[in-house]
Amino acid sequence: MSARPRRAVAALAATASIALFAGACTGSAGTRASDDPKAETTITFWHGWSAPAEVKAIEDNVARFTKAHPNIKVKVVGNINDDKLGQALRAGGSNGPDVVASFTTANVGKFCHTGALADLKPFVEKDKLDLDKIFPKVLQDYTQFEGKRCTLPLLSDAYGLYYNKDAFREAGLDPEAPPKTWSEFTKAAKALTKAKGDSFERLGFMPNYLGYETVVSHYMSQWGHGGYFDKDGRSTAASDPAFAEMMTYQKSLVDALGGFQKLDKYRTTFGDEWGAKHPFQTGQVAMQLDGEWRLNFIKDAKVPFEVGVAPLPVADDEVAEYGKGYLSGTIMGIAPQSEKQNAAWELVKYMTTDTEAVVNFANAIGNVPSTLDALKSPDLKFDARFKTFLDIARHPKSTTSDGAVNGSAYQDTLQKFAQQYEKGQVSDLKKGLADTAAQIDRDIAAAK
Amino acid sequence: MSTDTLPATEAAPAASGSTAARRNTLRSRRRSNALRTLAFMSPWLIGFGFFFVYPLVSTVYFSLMKYDGLNAPEWRGLDNWEYVFTSFPQFWPALRNTLWLCVVMVSCRVVFGLGIGMLITKIKTGAGIFRTLFYLPFLAPPVASTLAFVFLLNPGTGPVNTLLEAIGLPAPAWFTDPAWAKPALTLLAVWGIGDLMVIFMAALLDVPKEQYEAAELDGANARQRFRHITLPNISPIILFAVVTGIIGAMQYYTQPIVASKVASGVMGGSGVTFVPGYPDDSTLTLPQLVYSLGFSQFNYGAACVVALVLFAFSMAFTALLMRRRGGLIGSGD
Amino acid sequence: MTLTAPVTGTAARRARRTALLHWIAVHSLGIAAALFFVLPFVFVVLTSLMSDQQALTRDLTPDSWHFGNYLKVFETEGFLTWWKNSLLYAGLGTVLVVVSSLPVAYALAKFRFRGRHLSLLLVISMMMLPPQVVIIPMYLFWAQQMDLSGSLWPLIIPMAFGDAFAIFLLRQFLLTIPDEYVEAARIDGCGELRILLRVVLPMAKPAVAAVALFQFFYCWNDYFGPQIYASENPAAWTLSYGLESFKGAHHTDWNLTMAATVLVMAPVILVFFFAQKAFVEGVTLTGVKG
Repeated sequence: MSARPRRAVAALAATASIALFAGACTGSAGTRASDDPKAETTITFWHGWSAPAEVKAIEDNVARFTKAHPNIKVKVVGNINDDKLGQALRAGGSNGPDVVASFTTANVGKFCHTGALADLKPFVEKDKLDLDKIFPKVLQDYTQFEGKRCTLPLLSDAYGLYYNKDAFREAGLDPEAPPKTWSEFTKAAKALTKAKGDSFERLGFMPNYLGYETVVSHYMSQWGHGGYFDKDGRSTAASDPAFAEMMTYQKSLVDALGGFQKLDKYRTTFGDEWGAKHPFQTGQVAMQLDGEWRLNFIKDAKVPFEVGVAPLPVADDEVAEYGKGYLSGTIMGIAPQSEKQNAAWELVKYMTTDTEAVVNFANAIGNVPSTLDALKSPDLKFDARFKTFLDIARHPKSTTSDGAVNGSAYQDTLQKFAQQYEKGQVSDLKKGLADTAAQIDRDIAAAK
Repeated sequence: MSTDTLPATEAAPAASGSTAARRNTLRSRRRSNALRTLAFMSPWLIGFGFFFVYPLVSTVYFSLMKYDGLNAPEWRGLDNWEYVFTSFPQFWPALRNTLWLCVVMVSCRVVFGLGIGMLITKIKTGAGIFRTLFYLPFLAPPVASTLAFVFLLNPGTGPVNTLLEAIGLPAPAWFTDPAWAKPALTLLAVWGIGDLMVIFMAALLDVPKEQYEAAELDGANARQRFRHITLPNISPIILFAVVTGIIGAMQYYTQPIVASKVASGVMGGSGVTFVPGYPDDSTLTLPQLVYSLGFSQFNYGAACVVALVLFAFSMAFTALLMRRRGGLIGSGD
Repeated sequence: MTLTAPVTGTAARRARRTALLHWIAVHSLGIAAALFFVLPFVFVVLTSLMSDQQALTRDLTPDSWHFGNYLKVFETEGFLTWWKNSLLYAGLGTVLVVVSSLPVAYALAKFRFRGRHLSLLLVISMMMLPPQVVIIPMYLFWAQQMDLSGSLWPLIIPMAFGDAFAIFLLRQFLLTIPDEYVEAARIDGCGELRILLRVVLPMAKPAVAAVALFQFFYCWNDYFGPQIYASENPAAWTLSYGLESFKGAHHTDWNLTMAATVLVMAPVILVFFFAQKAFVEGVTLTGVKG
């Protein structure tokens, strides 16, 4: 008899399971945009900025929007990374965002392919926006994937070289002539390095892939290459010699400056990247690969030395292309499960296309403006050094990371292999790159 | 097995005289007993069905599907299984690491725990203070103690390396060196030995003194006494510590993921996401793979495959524990 | 040590010397071990009092004592919220677990029914189950079906259905309560619920206290649960998750991070000092005898 209750419970569990499968199975069909953008509503906006000055700039920007659209209140949440974003976009629900902003342009492919972000084409057409007249071409390229447009660019970033002019003078280098090729760069980095015991008092440059911003994609733009994927969608890591060249150079730089172990140990003494004790700002390194935003941080930190800005060096045999750099930017999109998509679109449209909004925001956080009108605006306030980044952004040979169906996973795979190589764990670079390319292809095939 | 009646009081179904009436009372009592059992067991029964059986079946289901949380699941059969076992570069390192942890970390903890337990039984002056001090690290919340150790073992600025170098000893790179990351985690685990210390202490104190005294009379030295008296008496506890340690090693999640996140210093915003296992997959464990596949890459199918592998291992060791520790279940049956 | 210690003569002196050496050896080891266990705490506290600049150096002791670092941590956005959430999660969870596990443990210890052995086996299996095994469907259920992601409810609600570890521990303890007490109450005509509450519970106080303490600290220390369910909503973060994110989210360096670490470690240690007995008893309950 007590078997009966047990059997009953088992049956109950089984029925419940089936019922819940059915529920889970439906996934989540996106809701159509049916809300009235003129109605009173509150939308939630998630972004990835976390430094106090940048958070304030976002809030100012949103305040300007609310003034223009007083019926739409915006709840702002910062410091969101892509993991949390991904989770929230899938969970949907009342705690989720309506509008999102992300830094990882390489994930656009995943966002668009899986439908994690809503298709913006209907909104663009509804408001008759001519994207070619609004945004530069590169920015349009990295905000869509295989024809699906699910994001719009919100300010862009250009990467270049920051260098400590006082340190240059001290080392006998010309502060107005930063290195233009990678061989010159190695020489400069060595000259700028001052040892202290078996560590450093000052390091010319932190080349390790785990250093701040010195990731594979940022390096790769300084070597001419035809993209990360060929026209069949397969990884070019092995077939394009540029990758091997870049990694070989990086390793030579690591070895020239003291070897991986010594450099990595020094790296662990660095302060936080977004705090006041950034190693370039404290003088722990004399040259830094970084984005244009670093200028504002440097000014806020009131560093005691003179700072110079230049494009990053290029390969020795590509001197003609000096001036190019890596481009990326912030992207904005709408959550497909949001029930306030029209209101969300108003915010997206305002922040990405309204010239005054773009200019003010660009001024506040020192990023490159993302619209053609904003780039020409007389209200754009910037320090003379900022012009270098604008030039890098406009350089015809500047490149970005390709999109892929599984987002930035291929970058992670390349990065992992590169890290092994810089440590000296790889004896056959060609074979390693071939294996890496094969892995990337397998992962993409599995994700399709 | 036993009858479905509650103990005692069944003996006198007095009341009516006829057998039929007695049978009826018996049946209704049986039914009310069964209902009572059900009522008392119901919280757990519901929990078991809902939080154990249902998700387990569901996990098997999803392991055969391609599901990313956004689009409807698609049937893939054993594709995910094939992917995880053959094409997913992080799976075998995670498995190897788990094995390493089961063998090295568990044995270090058991040996050290036994050693400290023995030490504490021998300390006469200030035993209470020592005991408290030895126990304190076990209380530290795992995230806090992991952060503390990442800082302490920071290769560049941490006190441990500063001291080691001052003495002239080699100062390894601990959490940033793939060869030293797991030993660093083991050091952390051994630091928190308080719980094992208490258990061993209790077991050691339980060994009958007469056995020691008899052995001494027979002229046995300390080592012989340990081997022939102490060890056999406490071996059930040692076994318990080993098996629960192994089960803990299977579930090892918080310490390695926090350590690798903080030690790598990887922040979002550089176009690289955090990939667990820093450095070089050396701290990767199966539970972390479930998280990474499911909640970073949103590949729920593959994540469920790894989850089932984890399940299989855990249940295998649980079965081992239950077989050896028959007394665990036996008493009162 | 020895059965009969010689009182006089060289043998006595040798015995006393051996005893003294033994005492020194044991206590030296003890002090060495104590240093190993305590020094990490010491260094953490020392670092928490350093200035921002000094936190990046190899210095072991602060040049200037920045007690203000602790204030800065308290003022950090969210720190008090994390406290509140941890207390809510741990407090509610503990109450729910104790209330729901006790009847189950009682049934497993004092009732006889078919399936008792099987149920016990299943309880033990649940105890050994890593949470990661079932997290995917559970997360999908709570997030998609119940719209509770971004909160701690998916962690708290299951605690109303008993916890395998608590059930097991309580059952082991209840087994040690002689059946005569229960029988006597049954003969008196008491219902089982009454027996549990009036007869058994008062006798089981130490075990219940131990279970409550264990559950409290399990929730307090839980990192995986909040990471899955609460990470997208900073208002729901607990201390464990917030602490891990502290360094990255607030771009602080080691000094403030260590101060935050101290503020997370200290309450647990304080509670321990007040509840020592229950702790140690509980730990021994898990391991010593079956």
